[in-house]
Amino acid sequence: MTLPLHLVAGLEMATLPQQVANGILLGSIYALIALGYTMVYGVLKLINFAHGEVFMLGAYSALFASWWLGYTPNNALSGSSPLNLFLMLGFSMFACSVVGVVIERFAYRPMRSQPRIASLITAIGLSLLLQYGGQLFLPSAPAPNIDSKVNPYQGNVEIPLKPKDGAFVAKAEESAKLATVSKEAFDTYIKTSGRDPFNLDNEGLALRNASQEKEREAKALLDKASDSGLSISLPKGQLIMFFTTLVLMAILRYIVLYTRRGRAMRAVSHDFDSAALMGINVNSIVTFTFILGSALAGAGAMMNATFLSGTKIDTFFGMLPGVKAFVAAVLGGIGNIPGAVLGGLLMGVAETLVVWAGYDAYRDAVAFVILIVVLLFRPGGLLGSAKVEKV
Amino acid sequence: MKQIERNLWTAALAAVALGMIGCGGGDTATKAPEGTGTETPAAAAGARPTPTAEGNKVAGDTIKIGIIGSLSGDQKPWGEDSVDGAKIAVEEFNAAGGVDGKKVELLVGDSASKAEQAKTAAEKLMSDGVIGIVGEVASGHTIQIAKAAFAKGVPVVAVGATRTDLTSEGTHVFRVCYTDAFQGPVMAKFAYEELGLRNVALMTDNKQPYSQGLSKSFNDYFTKLGGKIVGEAFYESGQTQFSGQLTELKAKNPDGLFLSGYFTEVGPIAQQAKAAGLNVKYLGGDGWDSPQLLVSGGEAILGSYFCNHFNNKESRPEVAAFLSKWKAAKNGKEPGTTMGALGYDATKMLLEALKTSKAMDSKALTAAIESVENFNGVSGSITLKGQGGNPPKDALVVEVRPESEGFQVFKKRYAFFKE
Repeated sequence: MTLPLHLVAGLEMATLPQQVANGILLGSIYALIALGYTMVYGVLKLINFAHGEVFMLGAYSALFASWWLGYTPNNALSGSSPLNLFLMLGFSMFACSVVGVVIERFAYRPMRSQPRIASLITAIGLSLLLQYGGQLFLPSAPAPNIDSKVNPYQGNVEIPLKPKDGAFVAKAEESAKLATVSKEAFDTYIKTSGRDPFNLDNEGLALRNASQEKEREAKALLDKASDSGLSISLPKGQLIMFFTTLVLMAILRYIVLYTRRGRAMRAVSHDFDSAALMGINVNSIVTFTFILGSALAGAGAMMNATFLSGTKIDTFFGMLPGVKAFVAAVLGGIGNIPGAVLGGLLMGVAETLVVWAGYDAYRDAVAFVILIVVLLFRPGGLLGSAKVEKV
Repeated sequence: MKQIERNLWTAALAAVALGMIGCGGGDTATKAPEGTGTETPAAAAGARPTPTAEGNKVAGDTIKIGIIGSLSGDQKPWGEDSVDGAKIAVEEFNAAGGVDGKKVELLVGDSASKAEQAKTAAEKLMSDGVIGIVGEVASGHTIQIAKAAFAKGVPVVAVGATRTDLTSEGTHVFRVCYTDAFQGPVMAKFAYEELGLRNVALMTDNKQPYSQGLSKSFNDYFTKLGGKIVGEAFYESGQTQFSGQLTELKAKNPDGLFLSGYFTEVGPIAQQAKAAGLNVKYLGGDGWDSPQLLVSGGEAILGSYFCNHFNNKESRPEVAAFLSKWKAAKNGKEPGTTMGALGYDATKMLLEALKTSKAMDSKALTAAIESVENFNGVSGSITLKGQGGNPPKDALVVEVRPESEGFQVFKKRYAFFKE
């Protein structure tokens, strides 16, 4: 495929703030997944490639929770409350923790004394097993999705950056009124004559064309009015997703920095064997790490599947986000917790900026480009220290 | 330092490899020739190569016919319906005595919603001795089937594959549906004349030859009518997040959005478009045709329009007869998608051609299908003689309504026209 040549000419500056905002919201999910990668790497020096599949199972857990709450396809309840979202979030985090612990106990622990490459291959094998084996018992064809009615936070929050031109707005409103009048005239005609709106006589056609003409005029003026201002519009659900992510990260930071277990975790990360010699129960710390990382992935999956409405869930749901989050973790500096968050947000923004620049088709490819660039020029990552590792 | 680096490179390679596995699904599909979406059937006919291979011959007392559909994966609703339709047609044919005292045996192949699987399934069926293949629904899959069948000289009757240049794969390829060279213009005409839209934006699935062809034919005809295509955004099947593309399209101020992809992505796109404030009319092609669209599209998709082959509510006697047979076979359920009827039509047409076929082999069968005239299908009358494999057919525009109102409600019929 040839590259589109409008790159420099066609950049739409007006959409840049909105695209950056989209990217940050999207990146918060990558950040949540990246935290799991980075913590496990920090403690075990293992890239847990099955982490994307934990994310996938988290989305399924949220789906099942939503079905259990009564939001089944085609027969969903109409209203919802934040409590439902909490239940789904909690269930998804819990289910993922269990999955994470099971994976660590039965797949990675037996491999721990083996060369590191053995664990890596185990991780890839496990990832494929869950992707393909999952199709046997998880509903995936046709791919289900969480009903958007479970989310009580519909609508957008508008953040104006530059106010609209008042004169345009007034004109647009006036024109909209005229459009409503002629639309009503057409509707009354349809009602009284009982004709099929897609099979009209000349009178009906004239009325319809007049109505559509007015509607187009009103739309053009409305567009002009909205183009005269600049604003960012953020779906409420995704804002909640973003703030929940921040809260979860704050909790994680507290656990890692200010609790005994967190201190033990850092000790294990610093030197696995010495930590064990100092009386730290290394196995329990590793398990704890998997619980934290998997729970965050579960939270990310639940919010991704719920707040990005209509997102379909299949057994490959975690693959691309997983790979992107892995790149995010490397970008931030693998093993580094703030780095994972920064990397995740940057990945989200990079992805939407690629779309903004007109390279829609390369949206997913940008992750690999970033990975290669980071490894070439700064293998330690943005916040990571390139320290010499004891072998 | 060195150690970290080496670990990361290993991991990175693994990550890239994992990514590759995921992308493999569409590789073969995207290699289909591009830019021929609006070729007229006549032009396509001129370029059609004829297979030289001998094809299969009937051995013994049963005539083997193959059907390929997606029995797993995203397109399962279509695969199941088309296979069920084919089964009904074969049962009916055998009950009526078959042909020359021989019964027909239907072999089923699963394309698993993947182009390369479709090819494997076709090769398997042909080595099992089928003299003709029915299928598939998706154009990208059918192109692979057609290529495999060309090498063996076995005729293919596509069920719902509408990509225009599909039949230029060879004189052994036929279909029972309209092409995108008609479907695109129908939706363009409907959007321009009935809905009064003038500035439409397109969203195309870059992984599906069907979507690329349909976007192009819509684009060409809508522009010809005097409308303007204000922008086009691309995505790939399997993506779940479209806010970036939708933000770009919204900035172009369209009054309509033409979504030429499959229902699997159209639902989420509609929901996210509405969330992004793109409150315009959504339009699409027969790729929308599955009630699953209501599940993934929620309320956002209601009131949208798409193009389809036929409607369960039509008053023609063929429709009523087909529905009663279907209900008898499926516990009183109506077919969810139109692919049930098209699968039935494709199979029945092939079986009827067997009756006029001079011999029980692939070559004679191909000639017999080529000379089909005025076959009374559930989806309308089908004539293939001299049409280059593409029967001229009507198209219906339907509106998306809730399940309780029957999912797709008939709005307007368009008789076949050439642009």
